[in-house]
Amino acid sequence: MESQPQAIISPLPIRWQRCYNCSMPNREKKVTLAEIFQTFAKIGLTGFGGGMAIVALIERVCVQEKQWLGGEEFLHGLAFGQILGPFSLNTCTFIGHHLRGIRGGIIAAVGFILPSFLLVSLLSWLYFTYHKLPQLQAALKGTNPVVIGLIVVVAIDMGRKQIKDVSSGLIALAAFAATVFFKLNAAWVLLAAAAWSLGMNIYRRRCC
Amino acid sequence: MVSLLTLAWIYFRIGLIFVGGGYVLIPLLNHIMVEQYRWLTLRQFLDGLALSQLTPGPLAMLATFTGFRSGGFLGGLVATVFIFMPCVVLMLIIGRNYTRLKNIDMIRNTLDGLLPAVVGLVAAAACNLGASSLAGVRDYIILAAGFAMFKWTRVSPMLVILGAGLAGLLLD
Repeated sequence: MESQPQAIISPLPIRWQRCYNCSMPNREKKVTLAEIFQTFAKIGLTGFGGGMAIVALIERVCVQEKQWLGGEEFLHGLAFGQILGPFSLNTCTFIGHHLRGIRGGIIAAVGFILPSFLLVSLLSWLYFTYHKLPQLQAALKGTNPVVIGLIVVVAIDMGRKQIKDVSSGLIALAAFAATVFFKLNAAWVLLAAAAWSLGMNIYRRRCC
Repeated sequence: MVSLLTLAWIYFRIGLIFVGGGYVLIPLLNHIMVEQYRWLTLRQFLDGLALSQLTPGPLAMLATFTGFRSGGFLGGLVATVFIFMPCVVLMLIIGRNYTRLKNIDMIRNTLDGLLPAVVGLVAAAACNLGASSLAGVRDYIILAAGFAMFKWTRVSPMLVILGAGLAGLLLD
């Protein structure tokens, strides 16, 4: 473990303290990079349904079966994973880093993405080669409205969770209006919302 | 074909503002790929969404599909690597400074305040995509059926989409 520079930083990371007072069988032996790759590739290959479904699978494999980290640490990783990007991938990176530092994190991320990357590439190739086939056209005509239905469901479910008061409702409405009626770029809307949210946080901290 | 460098830069920037989970990519990629650069038609974009639901892994694999369209296999590879680069680097930094960061709630609060905007954007994407791709009563019936399946049953999205494809094939 001496290859991990954070061992000399104090205070000690949680996992070192943990090693003293509990005996996790797998912590005694270094997990190999090959095992990290293999584990996350398997998760990537079987993780259907996106988001939380994949996270539940990661939790079962890494926390319950392999006992690579404790449940609480897993939840911290998950919380941080919601800052940027897909949190299923972020959770994998976090666990990989926890086991074997930066190399472990990168290997876990690559292992997790690789199966779906190869599958999507294959399907993309098939799609762009054969999408003029009438049968495929007919089938895809059936899937298009369903995909829009899925987006509507996501918007409703997210909205019920995130819109708690008048101000969050107004932000959602403003973002909606900005893209639908004023045709603003979604990226600018996001940046504006981030600036607004950060500003409100700083303001609240100063005055209260 | 677009230069891989341009692709890398575009996807890297998307990766930097990729907040609130995979669904925010729908408005972002739709705007850039369909409306701005016109690398895909709206139909192809929606088909790509269906494909990325059929495969395992995060919805963000939509980036691979759109990248594939603009630059072949290498385009898909570059798109995938660069869209995920910012979040992987961020997670590695967080992993290193884990104990010190644990008590900082500023990031979390800012993120919480941002999420309602993501809701608005996803709703807007449903609106925009629906307005320009739905035609006829049949489409609305399929949409309603799909909506009901996703909302009130626990059937996996993959099966719903496969079922919809089959329905499309049979109804044609």
